Amino acid sequence: MNKSEIPFLSTMQLAGLIRSREVSPVEAAESYLDRIEQVDDKLNSYITVCREEALAEARQAQEEISAGGYRGPLHGVPVAVKDQFWTKGVRTTNGSTIHGDFIPDEDATVIANLRSAGAVLLGKLNMSEYASGDAFRHPYGRPRNPWDLERNPGTSSSGSGAATAAFLCSTSLGEDTGGSIRGPAAFCGLVGIRPSWGRVSRYGVFGASWSMDTVGPISRTTMDCAVTLGAIAGYDPKDPYTWDVPVPDYAAALTGDIRGLRVGVIEERVNTDVVEPEIGDAVMRAISVLGELGAVIQEVSVPLIEHSAVISSAIIGSDAASLNRRDITENLDQLDHNNQVRLLMGSILPAGAYQKATKLRHLLRQQILDALEQVDVLVMPTSSIPAPLIPAAAGIGSKQEVLDGYAGRRSFTAPYNLANCPALSIGCGFTSNTLPIGLQIAAKPFDEMATFRVAHAYEQATDWHTRRPPI
Amino acid sequence: MPDLTEDDLMALAKAAGITIPPHLMAEVGYSLNGLLEALDNVPATGADSVEPLPIVIPPSSDAGR
Repeated sequence: MNKSEIPFLSTMQLAGLIRSREVSPVEAAESYLDRIEQVDDKLNSYITVCREEALAEARQAQEEISAGGYRGPLHGVPVAVKDQFWTKGVRTTNGSTIHGDFIPDEDATVIANLRSAGAVLLGKLNMSEYASGDAFRHPYGRPRNPWDLERNPGTSSSGSGAATAAFLCSTSLGEDTGGSIRGPAAFCGLVGIRPSWGRVSRYGVFGASWSMDTVGPISRTTMDCAVTLGAIAGYDPKDPYTWDVPVPDYAAALTGDIRGLRVGVIEERVNTDVVEPEIGDAVMRAISVLGELGAVIQEVSVPLIEHSAVISSAIIGSDAASLNRRDITENLDQLDHNNQVRLLMGSILPAGAYQKATKLRHLLRQQILDALEQVDVLVMPTSSIPAPLIPAAAGIGSKQEVLDGYAGRRSFTAPYNLANCPALSIGCGFTSNTLPIGLQIAAKPFDEMATFRVAHAYEQATDWHTRRPPI
Repeated sequence: MPDLTEDDLMALAKAAGITIPPHLMAEVGYSLNGLLEALDNVPATGADSVEPLPIVIPPSSDAGR
């Protein structure tokens, strides 16, 4: 195989060729490193490229496989991770200048798990400062969307979306507090899952909100996403909030058969003028495809869902202010302008407002779980809009701008962070100006399998995932 | 409810042990007043009968004890 074609393989295709020794891990790593060098100056998806380390890891994988020590589908596969995760001996910035010289002396558990699976780490991916979707300044270069360089690839796992869509890694990891995996997946035409809170360790991950941070994969196919999640998930004594429950073999269950599976369409997020018509039409067509595949479609109601963005903002704002207290008091002027405003606001949020938000979270979560008693999965758009243009300036111009923001796209991803449910985004079409559209599929806590089954069946029946961005 | 004024914001900041730089005061005001207004507009039927438990506690760990 021509080496320059390797990056365009799916993870599972590449894994098959590595296992059969038709492609070596070194060839795979070199092909991705070459493409990063050719393309990434347009995208700024990487903060740090670990060329020498990656080649050394690839050589080691090659030796192990040659000696009969094949570990599984990620062995020798080049991956990349958001710069929010500690990597031993490799700078970990959290998207900020404040941590610009931070070199961890140990790996985050998810990184250690990837290494155990034999993955080759290409580098650290760009992100919004402190994993805040509001951040404007990007000290390591502004990440751009491979489908349209003038547009945002999604926040805050911006580099994870851009690099995966542009074939600059085989699969990637992001982190999702209010939609930071699913947003980039939707805006870049990828598959990304926010797993159940407690499914994947947060140890060695810079925090944004204690009860909502989740680490998950962003990949080009559902199977790749399932395999990547399988590699990083599981109980970790270093994170006492991980659940000590078995991790299913997600990939083995992806048969394409969803006959009889009950799909709930959330009426408040589909029958609403908040959603742009092209997005709504694409999502309804996707739901029809699921019906044609034998799923049972019904409408369900989650009345509080339209308020999820403000509920989420109150909790995340307060959590982030507490987590970053030292930077607020000592390094405020080193932070991005929008982050300064957000963290100051979170610092003075009245306790009564926080308490109300947590109670509303309880009620919203119960409404979502009640809906999931009627159906197996919930579906709705991942975002009400396609990838937006990169903003021209930082700042908030009025209170009305804040209120309008709560009615927008964040109210599509935040519900599942609040409810601690797994939620996956998969591409379900394109707008007339060729911007990807995402379908969101959510399930009961710890039932990631249901979201993968539906996404995989849909993917087998459509060809959206085969399209390449013009870069 | 009426918007918080700059004096109100400064009092909250003082109580929280932080300083809001003057050039950020207006935006912090937009942000906090917007959040409080939006939160005030959420129908909270049933909120008085639930506890503000934000997370699911793993049954098999020592977390939260």
